[in-house]
Amino acid sequence: MSKEPVAVVGIGQTRHVAARKDVSIAGLVREAALRALEDAQLTWADIDAVVIGKAPDFFEGVMMPELYLADALGAVGKPMLRVHTAGSVGGSTALVAANLVAARVHGTVLTLAFEKQSESNAMWGLSLPVPFQQPLLAGAGGFFAPHVRAYMRRTGAPDTIGSLVAYKDRRNALKNPYAHLHEHDITLEKVQASPMLWDPVRYSETCPSSDGACAMVLTGRAGADHAPHPPAWVHGGAMRSEPTLFAGKDVVSPRAGRDCAADVYRQAGVTDPRRQIDAVEMYVPFSWYEPMWLENLGFAEEGEGWKLTEAGVTELDGDLPVNPSGGVLSTNPIGASGMLRFAEAALQVRGRAGDHQIPGVRRALGHAYGGGSQFFAMWLVGAEPPAT
Amino acid sequence: MTTEILAAPLVVEFPFTRSLGPVQSAFLTGLRERTVLGVRTTAGTVLVPPTEYDPATAAELHEMVQVAEVGTVTTWAWNPHPTGKPPLDRPFAWVLVRLDGTDSALLHVLDAPSPDAVSTGMRVRIRWAETRTGAITDIACFEPYDGAAGPAPRDHAGDFADAVSVVTLPARLDYTYSPGRAQTAYLRALAERRTVGERCPECAKVYVPPRGACPTCGVPTGERVEVGPKGTVTTFCIVNIKAKGLDIEVPYVYGHIALDGAGLALHGRIAGIPYDQVRMGMRVEPVWKEGQRWPDHYRPTGEPDADYDTYRELV
Repeated sequence: MSKEPVAVVGIGQTRHVAARKDVSIAGLVREAALRALEDAQLTWADIDAVVIGKAPDFFEGVMMPELYLADALGAVGKPMLRVHTAGSVGGSTALVAANLVAARVHGTVLTLAFEKQSESNAMWGLSLPVPFQQPLLAGAGGFFAPHVRAYMRRTGAPDTIGSLVAYKDRRNALKNPYAHLHEHDITLEKVQASPMLWDPVRYSETCPSSDGACAMVLTGRAGADHAPHPPAWVHGGAMRSEPTLFAGKDVVSPRAGRDCAADVYRQAGVTDPRRQIDAVEMYVPFSWYEPMWLENLGFAEEGEGWKLTEAGVTELDGDLPVNPSGGVLSTNPIGASGMLRFAEAALQVRGRAGDHQIPGVRRALGHAYGGGSQFFAMWLVGAEPPAT
Repeated sequence: MTTEILAAPLVVEFPFTRSLGPVQSAFLTGLRERTVLGVRTTAGTVLVPPTEYDPATAAELHEMVQVAEVGTVTTWAWNPHPTGKPPLDRPFAWVLVRLDGTDSALLHVLDAPSPDAVSTGMRVRIRWAETRTGAITDIACFEPYDGAAGPAPRDHAGDFADAVSVVTLPARLDYTYSPGRAQTAYLRALAERRTVGERCPECAKVYVPPRGACPTCGVPTGERVEVGPKGTVTTFCIVNIKAKGLDIEVPYVYGHIALDGAGLALHGRIAGIPYDQVRMGMRVEPVWKEGQRWPDHYRPTGEPDADYDTYRELV
């Protein structure tokens, strides 16, 4: 029996900000969920199951928040499950929901991811004083900065590339009303003059800390037939994981990421991602990860990713736009960040991305990673239903 | 050599912030004003504590009602040995109380002399705290009550001057953490200023620190192998901002160091050389300080830099 084709018929997100003091966690997720239902013109009664994701519980200090959020998400009397794969969780949450529809376990599924970083402190949550473990001598940026240096050494990329990515993503965010950072006076010079925090990573090349949520309604062919707006169709989706540290780990281009992308392309019949994919939303919390992931995801040969960035290929008007939404560099409610990538890919193929819409997007990739380059989740969505 | 596995307490403690939203804000501010508020559901039932969304219909709820301060215990459990920062400094009962006129139960504490004095169905009333701030502890506890039934719920706007909208709630978890057999052996060797990893019997890579198993081959590791003490800097960053809780002057270099013979790099601080002269491939050795479990930092050995190809698989 073939799989049920999966359609994204509703997308909603909050306006992402540093601190949403006006709402509870329940109020925050509710806002995104209602917008997704409104986009799909559905009600709570139309939803058969809820799949929710967020990053570690210590990020808010609410253990198993899904239990308390059931009321807010209309999940009482329905199956509700929670997914956790660190920073990639928004992506893997959407994939779990998509698989439930594809397997015809549920007809229409609400999937949602969130983080309310203002309730706690993510750096604290990631650096618990575990006995007998050597403390990390740097913050999250310090963890990834040596990987960036390794990339620069391997590829000979000039040290200006990181600032080009940040300048692009922050300008893209100006076209996205939901983005956290709206730096209207951004210039390349300002990015390059920002303090060097963890050399080679500058302050302006790092992501903010945000409160926000993202939700999507996924359904099958019948649901898509009744959708008020064009759906995005899932052409491929995959997850891969590997340990944070192991002998032979490639921190610059992790094998789990390469394998995950290859699986997605195989499902979608993509043989030349650079030409067959029109837009990419990838998880770039530090700007240098754009050229790194361009190579890891097969958009460039090894050592060539930075050349696409440098040539402007990844700009909004380039021929492979990357992070038209402004990306994680402009908005980072950690648990939701992966789903925002998946949702932006879907918005682009639906033609509903607003001011940051890229004309004529037929296929788009959404990508997320998490932990110490440990979890990967990706999907490829298209404007047309997948070939059966 | 002792084989006792190490263990130590791990305390996780943080003052979490709670943005309350309109319903919880009204509820907690009400307690400050000695006013117990519930919320009326779509079906007309009254929930205390109030919920923001209807558990049955998912509708947003906003009709607040003021309810009685007396009610009935629906179930209970005796707490003979209060620990931590208990709500009462003597044994007490945890109780679920359905306040008169409401349809759900509130979890709180009952001040009673012994479990013999507690029963399901017993009547209780709120004892208010002297100092109230807009918190569930504004109700100091419940106490036995033999008076008249409370008044029926009545509408309440839920509006208060100077409403509480954000609260800080410290939370604490107490664990006992054990690093296990392999790490215990590693730590005991470190105490002798030796770095001992474990070799995988299949891929022959040496894990430092050892985890007791090879994550690639999925087999236990047992053969102990001493590595280092010298090693190669595979990559690094220069830290220019002070990390919380770390007493290290910035800028300093945080590096990945592949000790000679190790299958992967570990991390450490690199010093004994100006920070802007640290290089990938630089040869280093550990510098120990009395009383520290790990090397304080690594310093250049003065040997020629390692060729990139000799360590690129370890980056």
